[in-house]
Amino acid sequence: MQVAWAIYKKELKVYFVSPLAYVFLGVFLLLAGAFFYLGVTMTGEASLRVMLGNLAIALLFLLPLLTMRHFAEERRAGTFELMMTAPVPLWAMLLGKWGATWTLCVALLAGTALFPAILAYYGEPDWGVIATSYLGLLLVCGAFVSAGMFSSSLTDEPVAAGMVGVVLLLPFWIAGTLAELVDAAWLRATLRHASFLTHIEPFSRGVVDTAALAWFGLFTFAFLFLTWRSIESRRWR
Amino acid sequence: MNQQLRRRLAYGSNATLVTAMVLGVLVLLYVLADGSRARWDLSADAANTLQADTEAKLTLLDADGLPVEITAFSHQRGKEDSALRDRAVRDLLVELDTRSTSLSWRIVDFDKERLTAERLGVNDYGRIVVQRGQDRVDIKDRDLFRRVGKGDDRGLEFLGEAALSRAFAQLLAPTRRVVYVLQGHGEPSPTERGPGGLSDLVAALDIERYDVEPLDLLRTDREGNAPVVPEDAAVVVVAGLRGPLTAQEEDVLLEYLGRGGPLLLALDAGQPLPVFLPRLGVRIPDGLAMDTVLVFPYKDRPVPVYKSHPITETLREGKVVTMLGAPAPLRLVEPAPAGLRVDPILVGGRESWIERGGESVGGSAVFQAGVDGEGPTVLATAVQLLPGGGVVRPTKPAARVLVLGDSEALTNGLLAEGPGNKDLALNAVHWLAGDDQRLGATKGRRTAERRLALTLEETDRLRWISLLLLPGLVSILGLATWNSRRGR
Repeated sequence: MQVAWAIYKKELKVYFVSPLAYVFLGVFLLLAGAFFYLGVTMTGEASLRVMLGNLAIALLFLLPLLTMRHFAEERRAGTFELMMTAPVPLWAMLLGKWGATWTLCVALLAGTALFPAILAYYGEPDWGVIATSYLGLLLVCGAFVSAGMFSSSLTDEPVAAGMVGVVLLLPFWIAGTLAELVDAAWLRATLRHASFLTHIEPFSRGVVDTAALAWFGLFTFAFLFLTWRSIESRRWR
Repeated sequence: MNQQLRRRLAYGSNATLVTAMVLGVLVLLYVLADGSRARWDLSADAANTLQADTEAKLTLLDADGLPVEITAFSHQRGKEDSALRDRAVRDLLVELDTRSTSLSWRIVDFDKERLTAERLGVNDYGRIVVQRGQDRVDIKDRDLFRRVGKGDDRGLEFLGEAALSRAFAQLLAPTRRVVYVLQGHGEPSPTERGPGGLSDLVAALDIERYDVEPLDLLRTDREGNAPVVPEDAAVVVVAGLRGPLTAQEEDVLLEYLGRGGPLLLALDAGQPLPVFLPRLGVRIPDGLAMDTVLVFPYKDRPVPVYKSHPITETLREGKVVTMLGAPAPLRLVEPAPAGLRVDPILVGGRESWIERGGESVGGSAVFQAGVDGEGPTVLATAVQLLPGGGVVRPTKPAARVLVLGDSEALTNGLLAEGPGNKDLALNAVHWLAGDDQRLGATKGRRTAERRLALTLEETDRLRWISLLLLPGLVSILGLATWNSRRGR
């Protein structure tokens, strides 16, 4: 665990001493501000539902850009072999990298804390709904980061890794929309179960659902597991 | 095959198998988690929590196993609150879906999916179609939302859960049942459309899947058989007698009660009464039920107070007034005959009394000791006749009877005028017919709209704070970091 902690700290330091995190944070907060302003002025409601819903979509495109460098960059720089031969368990490396990127997501979302404060100043927001919405977004971030790490493990090109990450996540997003167009009830139910939208939705209404918690947890674990298999396969390929 | 390829194949197939197995286990874990989910509603007023009555109906639907398909059509885009309405409907359907294994739903864009609308014969926005097997219930938008409040408190009340709950109840009782209305004594007619007729009650019962048929106990059928209450009678209504029942009619009705048949007796002051009424634990003394609190501007319409009973539950919760026109006071026989359970459901206020003439002030009756009867009055009472209690045969189920001290309350005139009259009548029929699960206590609720009233100046300020303040601060922080790194 100490190894994972060391990797976590190292990755986090890399984020915050380079301008990358700040550029990312700036773009993210600009988008969040735009979504917040549009949501409030268009609906006239003291709610973050529009902002948080759109931020989840934005994260689908942004987070693979953040995770693309995890393994692809290491391979391109030639440090991957060094990493693989070091006495570091693979799980510790995965956990450290995933944890650091997820912590950056926490920082991103913490940056939007001003918006609920604005709502509280002008109106009476539903704090239960706001709390669960943020919880939902944190779970989404965890899932996106793990899928992004998997895409990064597949290729040597960081940009390609980023694009693969988006392509990997997109079906899980549009499955919910596709479900509305399907007549067969079993297919509609399957698509809904596969969709991020279905599982974020309870959180956006103030509901904490154990099935949704399980879905995000298992999704995150599944892609971390696939990343592990993908990296390990380099040993015998 | 060289050794390297063999090695790759062995490792590769092993890795693929293990990966597939792990992913299979994860899917299985999700299925298990989905099947035994727990939910905590942290929203204000627990806005996402279904009411117990709705959950009970979902359980009944699931027990039957027949799939229920809900198709909800979108609201007209651009119209006030259309997004809010669509969202409220979607949220409810999602919530219902999580609580039911037999329910499936979809939202249909009315403008884009005209074929679906045509297939279902829908030509209006916001309609919900609930289908189960061959049965179908439509819910119109006007039954889903209601404007409430004024000024700053103006809002939208979402009645979707109540409407869907009623639809489920209708689907749970797919066979139409028959309500017989006694005729031949000058009673209001089920086909009469005027203020004194029962046509509106018949129409309301039709929606609730009850057919209404006239019942004539005075004449034989064409084969000369003595009149009886048909076996398919869900409820018999005796409302507004203007002439006495014959002894034979009383016997037929008692025989019907004896086999557990439900009876609605709506009797009026100063009119003939069934002789068997005291056997039901009720008497109607002379006079009118009167109260100091009256329905404005009438002088003879006391405002009834609801007592706790399944028939009155929704009316009590909704604080809906039922209007009775010059009702007869009921007196409960004391001690109550054996084998009876008598529960008053409508009573007069603490200062109510039985008006028998005497003084009046400004045209309104006042209580005059020695002339008028003491209150408080009973205006309607539910009676359960237990098997073996003297009326109902021991082998038959308990008979339910409702005695209402006014027949006008069921007529078109008061059904339209009295806010609670229709619900009282329908609830009474449901209770009498034993359809207790249709006596929903499901209420409407305000949609989760929390308005922000911003001035133009505040909106402008909000724009700059949202778009510039935070990204600006982060940019400064980023530049400072970059500058300090460059200096090293």
